[in-house]
Amino acid sequence: MTDALQVKGLRKSYGKKEVLKGVDLCIRKGDIFALLGVNGAGKTTMLECIEGLRRYDSGSIAISGRMGIQLQSASLPAYIKGIEAVRLFAKWNKATVNTSMLVSLGVNDLSGKQYREMSTGQKRRLHLALALISDPDIVFLDEPTAGLDVEGRISLHEYIRTLKAQGKTILLASHDMAEVESLCDSIAILKDGQIAFEGTVNELTEAVGKHYNICIKTSQGTETFEADNIGDSLISILKGYQEKSVDIHDIQVDRGSLEQHFVKIARGSRE
Amino acid sequence: MNGFLYGIALQWKLDLRSKTMLITCYAVPLLFFAVMGGIFTSVMPESRYTLIQSMTVFSVTMGALIGLPPSLAEIYRSDVKNAYQANGVPLSFGLFLTNISAFVHLLIMSFILYVIAPVVFDAKIPVHPGTYFAGVTILIAVSLSIASVIGLAAKSAANTSMISILLFLPSTMLSGIMFPNNMLPKAFVMAGKLFPATWGYAFLTESTFIWNNLWPLLVIFVIAALLCAFLMKRIETRQ
Repeated sequence: MTDALQVKGLRKSYGKKEVLKGVDLCIRKGDIFALLGVNGAGKTTMLECIEGLRRYDSGSIAISGRMGIQLQSASLPAYIKGIEAVRLFAKWNKATVNTSMLVSLGVNDLSGKQYREMSTGQKRRLHLALALISDPDIVFLDEPTAGLDVEGRISLHEYIRTLKAQGKTILLASHDMAEVESLCDSIAILKDGQIAFEGTVNELTEAVGKHYNICIKTSQGTETFEADNIGDSLISILKGYQEKSVDIHDIQVDRGSLEQHFVKIARGSRE
Repeated sequence: MNGFLYGIALQWKLDLRSKTMLITCYAVPLLFFAVMGGIFTSVMPESRYTLIQSMTVFSVTMGALIGLPPSLAEIYRSDVKNAYQANGVPLSFGLFLTNISAFVHLLIMSFILYVIAPVVFDAKIPVHPGTYFAGVTILIAVSLSIASVIGLAAKSAANTSMISILLFLPSTMLSGIMFPNNMLPKAFVMAGKLFPATWGYAFLTESTFIWNNLWPLLVIFVIAALLCAFLMKRIETRQ
């Protein structure tokens, strides 16, 4: 198996409500993959089924290698110290504590701190360290940077890239599109229990059409335009300014953010 | 040291840090012993013959029913269980660790009472210490099994307190440690037989091994263990 994860025909219902309607998904080894979807799309259910934390009705899930899981909703006993939690899970998984990993995540600073005294960001880093303790091949990260400050976020992004460089596969669930755009090799958008899109960020841009945002700064102020055909539109806009004898100071053209494309697919509307 | 042994040692430390166990297993029973021991032996001098047993039954019942359920609820009614599952630790791990730690605390407290009661109140030491401590061990195990059912069944840590009190009060009031059983109305005597404290106290106060006081404890233990297995299965099976 060259893929880190293969999901075929995954179905899951809660009573009469079908949450996953035969989902197929494939993640290449060594990729950082993002699973996106609006609230209620079935992301958490799908992740929990893959992680083995929830039963599914039908379909198959094949995972190559060991898993490390950082859940969004996980906790530890209030009075446990950081280093004790690390040692407990390391001993249970017969793993050696990777000191450099703890240092990279800043968990070594939390060694003597009890869980109840930790901030949200510190708890999140500790749970990530616990997920990595058995040196997993595929790492599941559910909202890994939620609650982190800017510095923590940047350092975690760097660490995720380090994990990728080590050959690990990462499945990321995040609402932070900037994070997904900067980190991920490929993405999947889950909509109404099915994969509405799977591919790279560039492929998503192609899939939603060549939609451009044009921002022009002139002597009279800043104006923005939306266009599907960049060539014709830009010429037409510039001609308009020329006819009015308006000085142009700056022109910026972008193809829309991942967030805009995501919304377009996930909600089925153009924003 | 493997994960299980490390977990037991760690749970022991966590119980000491949380102070719930310290209060329910040591502080309150010792206070109760100091106050009630003085009253019992002053009002009824013959109570010194059963003082060690009555104080031990009170301590074990309190430590188990009030002390253990919040620790279990903290694990199984919160996201702690998610962390266990996600990191490959069996969910029953928490149940075993908390029970073993509480068992040791309660055994220590029972031993403390066994040593200090004769010194402080001239209490009479049980005739057969071996049989006595075997009885204490069984009583602790049975009380913890009921406490485990409460901890696993309760919807939250706060919820455990209410259920624990509902079981703790009749356990101590109807077991014979506060009032002699022959002074209680018949219905109360019958109700008291539902609780391990009654049978434990009867077993511990006898100078010989009485099987009729033991088998009800074993029946209660088996029923509680089956309930724990059922509740654990329900927690493990996330639909």
